Amino acid sequence: MKILAVDSSALVASAALCEDGKLLAEYTLNNKNTHSETLLPMIESLLSFFSLDVKDIDLFAVSSGPGSFTGVRIGAATVKGLAFASGKACVGVSTLEALAYNLRFHRGLICPVMNARRSQVYTALFRSDGETLTRLMPDSAMAISELDAILSEYGEEVTLVGDGYDVTESGFEKTKLRYLPERVRHQSAFSVAEVALKEYREEKTCTDAELCVDYLRPSQAERERAEREKQENKN
Amino acid sequence: MTFPANLVTNSAEQTEALGATLAEAIAADSSLPRFIALYGDLGVGKTAFVRGFTSLFSPNARVKSPTFALVNEYKGEKISVFHFDMYRINDEDELYSIGFYDYLDRNGVCLTEWSENITFALPDRHIAVNIEKCPEEHPDRRTITITLLQPEAQYRARKD
Repeated sequence: MKILAVDSSALVASAALCEDGKLLAEYTLNNKNTHSETLLPMIESLLSFFSLDVKDIDLFAVSSGPGSFTGVRIGAATVKGLAFASGKACVGVSTLEALAYNLRFHRGLICPVMNARRSQVYTALFRSDGETLTRLMPDSAMAISELDAILSEYGEEVTLVGDGYDVTESGFEKTKLRYLPERVRHQSAFSVAEVALKEYREEKTCTDAELCVDYLRPSQAERERAEREKQENKN
Repeated sequence: MTFPANLVTNSAEQTEALGATLAEAIAADSSLPRFIALYGDLGVGKTAFVRGFTSLFSPNARVKSPTFALVNEYKGEKISVFHFDMYRINDEDELYSIGFYDYLDRNGVCLTEWSENITFALPDRHIAVNIEKCPEEHPDRRTITITLLQPEAQYRARKD
């Protein structure tokens, strides 16, 4: 079964072509361009290396949030379009779960972090036994200090992954962190494909029309605080 | 250009020229923040300032107030200009859903009109441009203050 997976939820744009869990090709771009201009040419070039057509793909996968507003929409719209045109199934996976899959081989606590601005992160928590991931915390938006408090409760080393790596690392005071090399820090469409394969086996795929995104915005309380600060600044 | 700069212009053309001067300063010094918060009442010349600013990076751009679109993109050869109008922005959700935070990561300069509405989201380091009208006998005269804002610690580190 061939899977075409994309991730444009953050700074990098990534597209991967996989067959039965094996990676055929992955294309990742980090050039600050809008993903709307890069994603389709990337997909086209991946397919052309294998003389494949969109119709040859069995499942389209996308990281459907959280992430950047336009990025998440571009990824989802692209996959919806491809699935609609070819009449094939698609699946949206959590951006955070896909990030954690970058480290699936890595025993211990894995904490994906994405920069949600203003000292906030999109985050979740997983434990890996070196083979499979177990989710310990749902996808959430919270202050870095709050995440620090939650993680430090575990009393063990935590590995951060994602584009919030730098801001989170410098914002932590209590949690013991394990260093993660740059190479596996960013969104990878192959990881999206791996999660998608798991979802496929659990029969959780959907049609293009059913595919939804999840922006996971910071909580109402956070928004109200911002509102108060705005009022105070005005007065 | 040194900061803070206190200047007086006597026409929209001069305000525009001042925008171009700030653009030159930013093009010449990559350590300057690429975020400019504009403040000033209706018709004071914010868009004229942006027009002058944009002329350096995107000479053929037709600069208009993004009142309806909320953001105009002026493509430059190397650096683009993103021109926001925050007049109708009320909260962080609205800011997020116009893709504001995504623009901060792109290779460009952001200018925001009606920055009063998004003080909660302004980057720690940015340039503030205040444009004010003068007493009635000089209807076209403006006093313009350009300030470089940055956290105290960073400021000291840069001076040392």
